[in-house]
Amino acid sequence: MESIDHINTDFIFDDQIDLQIRAKKVFRYQVQHNPVYKIFSDHFSITEDDDAFNLRDIPLLPIRAFKESKLISADKDADIIFKSSGTGVMDRSHHYVADSMLYKRAILSEFHRYFDLSNTVILAYTPGYNENKFSSLIWMLNLLIKKSMSKLSQFLPLGEPIEDDLLAEIEKSGKDLILFGAAFGLLDLIDFKPVSFGANASIIETGGMKTHRREMKKSELREVLAEGFGVSANYIHSEYGMCELLSQFYAIGSELFSTPHWTHVSVRDPKDSTRICEPGEEGKIGIIDLANIYSCPFILTDDRGVMNENGQFEVLGRWSSSELRGCNFLIDVD
Amino acid sequence: METIENRITRLQFIIDEWLHPNNYELKEAIDKTVNEGFFSFEDIKHQLLVFKKTLNKRDFLRWAEPLKRKPSSRKEKRVLCLHAGNIPLVGLQDLLAVLISGDHYSGKVSRKDPYLLPTLLKKLEKEGFVEQRDWSTDLNELPNSAADAVLFSGSTDSVDNVFDKLVSMKLVKHQTPALVRTAHFSIAYIEDSNPETMDQLTQAVFRYGGKGCRSVAMVVAPFSLHSKKCSFTDYIEKFLMAVPQNEKAPPSLYQRYAYNKAVGIEQAWLDNFLIEEIETEPKEPFILHWVKGDKKTLTELIGRYKKGLQTVYVQDPSVEIEGVDTELLMDAQQPPVYWQPDGVDIVSWLNNLE
Repeated sequence: MESIDHINTDFIFDDQIDLQIRAKKVFRYQVQHNPVYKIFSDHFSITEDDDAFNLRDIPLLPIRAFKESKLISADKDADIIFKSSGTGVMDRSHHYVADSMLYKRAILSEFHRYFDLSNTVILAYTPGYNENKFSSLIWMLNLLIKKSMSKLSQFLPLGEPIEDDLLAEIEKSGKDLILFGAAFGLLDLIDFKPVSFGANASIIETGGMKTHRREMKKSELREVLAEGFGVSANYIHSEYGMCELLSQFYAIGSELFSTPHWTHVSVRDPKDSTRICEPGEEGKIGIIDLANIYSCPFILTDDRGVMNENGQFEVLGRWSSSELRGCNFLIDVD
Repeated sequence: METIENRITRLQFIIDEWLHPNNYELKEAIDKTVNEGFFSFEDIKHQLLVFKKTLNKRDFLRWAEPLKRKPSSRKEKRVLCLHAGNIPLVGLQDLLAVLISGDHYSGKVSRKDPYLLPTLLKKLEKEGFVEQRDWSTDLNELPNSAADAVLFSGSTDSVDNVFDKLVSMKLVKHQTPALVRTAHFSIAYIEDSNPETMDQLTQAVFRYGGKGCRSVAMVVAPFSLHSKKCSFTDYIEKFLMAVPQNEKAPPSLYQRYAYNKAVGIEQAWLDNFLIEEIETEPKEPFILHWVKGDKKTLTELIGRYKKGLQTVYVQDPSVEIEGVDTELLMDAQQPPVYWQPDGVDIVSWLNNLE
């Protein structure tokens, strides 16, 4: 096996290189530098020397490893640490990010695929950066706000409607508007005061479907957001990201997420994570995110998902394992 | 109107006949169940022996106590039971509760246990306790007159879907009262590792392949898994020699073993079962969570996981856990007929229906 002590990570974002080749290189690096992943993958029959290497065969580490171990390349120190929300130490994932530049590249590359940041005002209805330095989402929004080069871009104060003056200034600037927020936060904003953003605005919800009021289906949420912000449903987008991932997935004007070219998403059989579910079959979402090269790029999430024939996926909530124990009825399907 | 005692006497007679060694219909059903791989002979035999011991008139009368407070104006209810099928005859308790309450039984027999319960249902038909058209393994075959109440078990995530399906089939209405059981595991608290304790623990964990909410999926002990791993696995191997595990674990169990190894979680691999030293909520089958701790640890865990917890077992009646009704570990897999799934007495619940 070729030894990789130092690695230039530019290849990760080079879409001229086949993803299979990039994944193989990252897999080889992981096996050599991540002792947790090395031990885990040793239990699966895959070798990077094998000519038949296929990224679909790469073992996916359960995401709770970010709670139960320190996932970082043995020769690296953390540049930033992201923590998931939660109360106890054991409830929170810790993502030790060895190279924040990788996160920046992942954020900006995928964002630019859909939006023109230089001509956009970013509003974030989330807690501000100073109150949440461990949140990867807030870090991302802070970066987008800074990179937008607009003084109008900002974290909005919580618990207040968007000021009319601000909206007027944005309109006057001629720039597009993108409002980020968790589902429940965006619904709060509408409750404060429905507004009409007009044609050049997009809403990006970042999750949080289980609102403090009631659980809402995604299709219903999209309708409510479109009406409440006065935009077409085609401009209601979703972002799927998490503390454990440096890359994000966007669903543009729909509930179907597309993948950045340096990632691979599959839906896995919860009873056998090596089996990839057929399109239409629900399972756990498995993610290869090469930007995670220094932590762990091969992750089996606990999210329930389903893939379509075109390689796009839907996020359906959390996968519950408790139905596998207990005296469950679960209407029989033969 | 028939008295409760008379009803119970008639019911007892049918059950005794059903459990009689010369009941060839039941024998045939057992053979089919075993041959088609639903359950092992050993697990069915265990369940039937438990019934022989626990289904007696005295306990039926004790269970029926709340019916004495039944308002005379209360009319017979049509009760739909959706029987689970993860343990042989696990749905029997719901059936008996409905019959003891004098209500009208309607039942969806599990396709994962399709032969055993029907042998009793057929006997009950002959004696007029149930009607043939009122039970089936297929929901579509049940008469679509809405039930007055429904009993079933499920995970919290599945409950709404099940109910919506029943509404769409006109088997219940949106407002129909439902007794839904969502508990999925039990905890054993042990204070020593003597042979009696370890035998009881093994039975409580490994009977029925660890399935069912009464099975122990978490043990709290004053010693670590590491220190007792070898001796405990001896008990387990002995048990599994006598009672082979019917259902093989899926590949995810080995993948979990690989994960534990990677992150350094202490564990014991038993081919189709895994024991791991971890405090998280037991959610998956074929896994026993081992926690080193004392009563304080136990109390904390009970508080943390009470939503999914069925029973806390102790070795001895003298062991008291504050604020918790415990049961004896030795009774984990042989509960009395009046045991309370999710802490709810089914007969009382039915009796309180408006």
